[in-house]
Formats: sequence, C-alpha cells, structure tokens
Amino acid sequence: MIDWLKDNWLKVVIPLIAFLATTIVGLWFKRFVDKILDRWKVRTKWEGSHLVITMVRRQVLPWFLLLGIVIATQVSELTANTKTLIVKIIGSLFVLFLGWGIIVLSEQLLRLYLLKTKAPQPTTAIVINIVRITLIIVVALILLDIWGAPITPVLLLIAVIVLVAAFIFRNSAPNFFAGFQLSTSQQLKVGDYIKLETGEEGHIIEMGWNNTRLRVLDESVIVIPNSRLTQHKVINYGRPLKKAEEPFRFYVRSQLTELTGLKAKNLQELIEVMRKVPDAVIHYHTHRFLEEHHYLTPEPANDFGIWVSDALGDEALGERLASVNTFEFTNLGTLRERLIGIIEEQLAKRPDSREAMTGREFYFIKSVSVILPTPYAAHDLREFAEILRKISLSSLYFHIFESRLRLGKGLNDFSVWMKDRLDEEQLGEEITRLDPYTYTLEALRLTLIQLIEKRIK
Amino acid sequence: MGKSTIAELKLLASKLSGKVIQNINSTFVGGGVAEILSRMLPLLGQLGVDARWNIIKGDNDFFKVTKKFHNALHGRLETITANDYAVFQETTRKNIEEMELYGDIIFVHDPQPAGLIARKKELGNKWIWRCHIDVSHPNQEVWDFLQPLVVQYDAAVFSAPAFSPELPLRQFLISPSIDPLSDKNKELSQSTIDSVLTKYGIPKDKPIITQVSRFDYLKDPVGVIQAFELVRKSVDCRLVFAGGTASDDPESDQVLAEVKERANNNTDIHILLIPPGSDVEINALQRASTVIVQKSHREGFGLTVTEALWKAKPVVASAVGGIPLQVKNKFTGLLSYGIEGTAYDIRQLLTNPEYASRLGENGREHVRYNFLITRHIKDYLLLFLSLYHSGDVIYL
Repeated sequence: MIDWLKDNWLKVVIPLIAFLATTIVGLWFKRFVDKILDRWKVRTKWEGSHLVITMVRRQVLPWFLLLGIVIATQVSELTANTKTLIVKIIGSLFVLFLGWGIIVLSEQLLRLYLLKTKAPQPTTAIVINIVRITLIIVVALILLDIWGAPITPVLLLIAVIVLVAAFIFRNSAPNFFAGFQLSTSQQLKVGDYIKLETGEEGHIIEMGWNNTRLRVLDESVIVIPNSRLTQHKVINYGRPLKKAEEPFRFYVRSQLTELTGLKAKNLQELIEVMRKVPDAVIHYHTHRFLEEHHYLTPEPANDFGIWVSDALGDEALGERLASVNTFEFTNLGTLRERLIGIIEEQLAKRPDSREAMTGREFYFIKSVSVILPTPYAAHDLREFAEILRKISLSSLYFHIFESRLRLGKGLNDFSVWMKDRLDEEQLGEEITRLDPYTYTLEALRLTLIQLIEKRIK
Repeated sequence: MGKSTIAELKLLASKLSGKVIQNINSTFVGGGVAEILSRMLPLLGQLGVDARWNIIKGDNDFFKVTKKFHNALHGRLETITANDYAVFQETTRKNIEEMELYGDIIFVHDPQPAGLIARKKELGNKWIWRCHIDVSHPNQEVWDFLQPLVVQYDAAVFSAPAFSPELPLRQFLISPSIDPLSDKNKELSQSTIDSVLTKYGIPKDKPIITQVSRFDYLKDPVGVIQAFELVRKSVDCRLVFAGGTASDDPESDQVLAEVKERANNNTDIHILLIPPGSDVEINALQRASTVIVQKSHREGFGLTVTEALWKAKPVVASAVGGIPLQVKNKFTGLLSYGIEGTAYDIRQLLTNPEYASRLGENGREHVRYNFLITRHIKDYLLLFLSLYHSGDVIYL
C-alpha cells in the first residue's frame, strides 16, 4: 500500500487538494452569504425571514462538500463509469438534501401564514400535506431522471390519480377552496352571527374545510357547504353578544272563542253580568280588537265603550269607557272594577232606561287561551331581534299583553328576561314603559326590534 | 299566509296526533257544509290530522222533514206534524244501528244527524254539534224537540254570538270562512271583469251598486231598489241585483217577478238571474262594483259580505246575523237599519271615495285575519284540543 502511494501520490493528493480547496471556498462563501443574510435580516420586516436564513445557512456548506467530492472525483483517475456512478450518487444526495430543506421551509412558512390567518386546524393540515406530497413527487421525479429511469409512465400515473381524485372530490373541491378562501379572508369567524340571502341564519359554531356549522334560532344545528357562503350574499352581524344562561323561550297563544250564553240589553244588566263573569270574559272584551283589528290605526277601544255608544246611543258614557287606559292596570280584576265603577257613577247621576234593539244586545264572550311552546329560543339580544321578526303576532301578543295582564305577572315577559337574565336594565325599562295599546301589533313588533337594534349597535 | 301561521297550524295539529276526527253530515255534495268540508279535510290531512267524513242515510221523506226543521229553526213558519217527528226518529234509529262510529271525536254537522248522540255512552268518545243555522229565533217546538239531543254533546259550535241559546254545555263561536283561491274570490284580470259586464249589458259609465243574493224576501230586494232610488236623487249610479232562484224555494220566482216589476224597466237597474256555479261571474260583478250592499232582514253569517270585503269593496249592510262580526260600523264598512239609512250610507260612500277606499281596505284586512280558511282550520284544531282540557288558559 505504501509502495503504491509512493508511486501514485499525485493521484491521491490532487483530488484531495481539489476537495479541500472547494471546502475552503465553501467556508468563505458561507461567511459571505451569512453577512448578506444578516444585513437582510436587519432590513426586512418579514416574519418568515429567519426561517429562510436558517434553511440557507444549513444548506450552503453541505452543498460545497458535495461539490468538492464531485470535483475530486472528476480530477481523479477513476474509471469513467465509476466517476459517472459517483456523480449520480452525489447528485441524488444533493437533490434529497435540497428537497428536504425546501419541504421543511415550505411547511414552516405555511404554518406561519395560516396561523396568522387563523385558519382552522383541518385546513392547515390539508394544505401542508398537499404541498409536502407535491414536493416529494417532484424530488422523486428528479431522482428518477438522474438515474435514467423512464418518467413518462410515472407522469401518466400521476395524471390519472389526479383526475380520479378530482372526479371523486368534484363536489367537495369547491367547498374546500371556499373554506380556504373564507379562512384566509377572515370575513367569517366562529361565534359570528350570519344570515344568508337564502334564509338560513345563526351563530357559527364550527368552520371546517368542507362545511360550516350554524346553531340556528330554534337551537338546532344546520350544516352549510362552504361554497354557499362564498357564492351567496351573507350578512355578518359580527361577534356574539352577552349570552343569557337561560334563553328566552318563545310561546305562541291561540284563542278559542267561547260563548257564555249571557247577554245584556241595558246598562244595569251589563254591570250585573260584568260582576259575575270570569276574568276571561273581561279580557276578551277589552283586548279583542287588538287581535282582530290590529291593522287599524288607531285601534278601536274596548267592546263595552263601543256597545254603549253604538247600541245604546250614549256617546258620552261610551267615550268614558273607551278612554279607560288598560295599560294602567296590572290585573283584570281592577280593570273590571274601573269599568263597572264608571257605569255605576253614570247610573247614580242619571238612571238610564235606554235599551239595545233586538239583536244588538251585548253578548258576553270568553276567550280560551291555548298556549304552546315554539321552537324559538333567544340566547342574546341579536337572536332575540331576529326571532321577533319571525314569530307570529299571536306570540308577540302573548308575551306582551297576555302575560302581563291576564296571567297577572304585571310586567311583559321580554322586560323581565332582559333585566333578570341579561342585566339589560335600561332596555328592559324602555320596553316596560312602552304602552303597547297605542300600537298596532306590527308596529309594536317593529318598535321593539328598533329598540333592541339601537342597543346592540 | 305567512310561514308563522303554517308553523302554528302544524304545532296545533301535532297535538292531535293519533286522534281520528269523524265528520258526519247528510250530504257529500251541495250546500255550505259539504263545500266547507270538501275544502277543509284535504288541508287538515296535509297538516297530519286524520279527519274523515261520513254521511247519514235517509230517504226523501226524511230530508223533507229536515228541510222543514231547517226553515223552522231559521224562524220561518212551518207546520210540522207528529208523523214528521216520527219519520225523523225512525231514520235516526236506523242510522244509530247501522252507522260505523269510529272517531275519537265525532263532529256532527246540523240537525239531521244530531240523534246519533244516543251512542255516546256506549262509545265513550267526544262529541261536538256544529250548528250552521241561525237559531236565534227558532220555532220553539222544533227547538224543544232537538234540545234534549244537543245538550248530550260535549260542545256545540255556532257562527255568531246571537245564534247561541243558553245551553248547559260549552258553546264556541267559530265563524265560517272563504277560500281566497276559489273561483269566487281569486284575483281576476280587468279583461275578465269587462267581459262579464259586457255579457250582462252593464256599461261602466256610472258607479255600480251591487247586491248579490238569492231572490228571497229575507234579502229585501225591493228595499234595495227603494234605497237605490233615494240615492239616485243626488248621485247618478247603477244598481246590479245578481242572484239565483232555488228549486226548493217556491217563493223565489215570485220574488224575482216582484223585483222586476218594481224595477219598472229602469235601464239603470240590472236584475240578473245568475245560474248556479257561475262563481267567476259573481266574482267579476263584485269586483266591478263601487259599493256592495247586503240589505237582508235575516242572514246566517253572510258570506257574500265576506266576499265583498275580501275584494276591498266598501260595504253597506244590515246589522243582522253574522254581519256585525264582519262589518264594524265605520271601521270596515257601514251598518244600516232601514231603507233611508242604507241610502244615506251609500251616498256617503259614493261622494267620499277616499273614505270608501279606507273602509274597503280595512275590510279586506279584517277578512284576511279573521275569515279566511286558515283561521277556520285553526279554530277547529283548537276546538278539538279543548275537548281534552278544561280551564280558560290551556298549556299544551
């Protein structure tokens, strides 16, 4: 061996010198590149700069080492075949090393970018996997090319796989891209209250890569494909408001009209029957117009006032009865006493013998309320306003009129919930002070919505 | 109809799940009851309510007797013999024996099948008697015959407060209704309206006052002509009296002859004998009118008034039967009591078109909320549910 070296030392020394020289150049070049990168790092404000710098710094010296091996091989006296084999091996190592560096860098940059856009975890994972797989395929193709393997069949296979995948995921793809678009644009976020032009509305509880889940007003959950959120007009009402621990559950009240068979033809008979009928009768005759004629502005007064004016022709007494402000009373008993008191005052001053014509007697009617829960429940003021737009007027009537007076709560249900469950004292008070008897039911609905919207703006 | 209304109906219907509602009357065709049931049952079915319909069997003698009962309950003079009562009882007995009564709720319409109540104790189900007749001034003898049957029911239903006598059972007020999509009430094009006017030779040169009703003294057609003549003294206008005669009403031809004679070939008075089933033509005549009158002496509910209000027409009508439920004086129309009053109200409307228009619009809204078939269905659902709950406030 020593003899061989004595005879052929140049064959060893020259490649070694070439390798060492290349390594020294590499070290010098790395210092040069480091300086440039340090200056760039100071100047740039890009958050990803440190990732690029780290990657380049790791790569430069190994590149020169591999280059040194290639140069050393070329200046050596190895056979042509051996040289070719070594170059292929070094080339492959270079491609693998560079590919690995690019894959790591791209993953880190994507994570940084997607984190910044607050993209959901599934979307981030899918994007990174797609980029990783693409780069691995590119590296593999280059390696195959280096080793002289035919890549056309591989390319065809890949094309077929891509086409099959596109066919299988043809419906999901638009949703996926829409989901990506939604994530990156940050126009919608979990917790937002949204309304689609197609009618669906609710709070976003989850945004996936394919679908977005909404909790709607009846507390059910609906799944909206992401593509619909990008293709249709969507109103985003923004972040959630304060939630009540106990939601407001909306009820609806239907009325069945029961005949009592009782009637009166003069004032004396009227007050005699008024004294003995149940509260449900007084409620019917003081509130009937609200439901039956709520389209009229101003609405007619109670039945007693109208009958006294029209059927008995006593317009002065009719006016007194009609002007009784029902809103001042918190139960039907005191309202009944007030109406009877007015008629008694009149009879005490001037006994009245007027009688209604046959067929125009006062017929006492009772309202039977049938109360059912609706699917609607509001957890905050925004949901409350949206449900107010949807519920029937019978539901509004129940919570504003029936609860307060007939069920003897003294306050409307809306104010109670807003004060007790949402600490919305001022808004609750504003609704309490609102005299609902001066509005049509539609106008009352609108006024309540306006009050709530003013509060949540 | 809004989504909330449908949701409410579905909610109520769901509470009747598993219950069978068996409607019973005397005929599948002809008459208001058959018309209402044929429109209502498919809608109840769509809501998931199992509502079915059967009729009682009866021969001509039986139906002659029940026709007499009908007239007598309306207050007309009728001679009813002991044999008539016997015929009624015998047919009722046969039906009690033969008829299959399977409903959880047996909904009996009008007096003809009322005697089926005899099987209530045996079956133990719920029974409702639906009275479509104005029994505010009935022939007492006939009413005394029927009342012992009626009081055995769990509930009775009437169309107007004045119709309900004092009875020891729960009585409910449920008004009839119109179907806004039917030929009689649907929207019509101006060309259709014009073609009907042309067909009947009615020029559009003057305001048109119209009464649609049978040629029946109870509809006071002569009074309508008299009121029109008073109006004509100060306002130029036309009168259209459109109606039909009934084969079971021998008086109608006589009334028609009297009306024609009273019109005295006045070219501004159009007496139209409209054949049965001409719903689109009636619709067109109502829509072409400036004011619609219903000057009846007696009236059941007065669905012609409902139809007029639905077309946003200003209405002048007598305060009888169910009309005051529909016409709230000076809000949704004008109520009158005599010929002079009717003429005065018509003049007010003809000379104050804005006022007339406001009443008409209010009338349409009143019908929209209170007299369309959806409200009728809701009332029936509530009625069925009320049979299983007592109290004035029911939580379901």
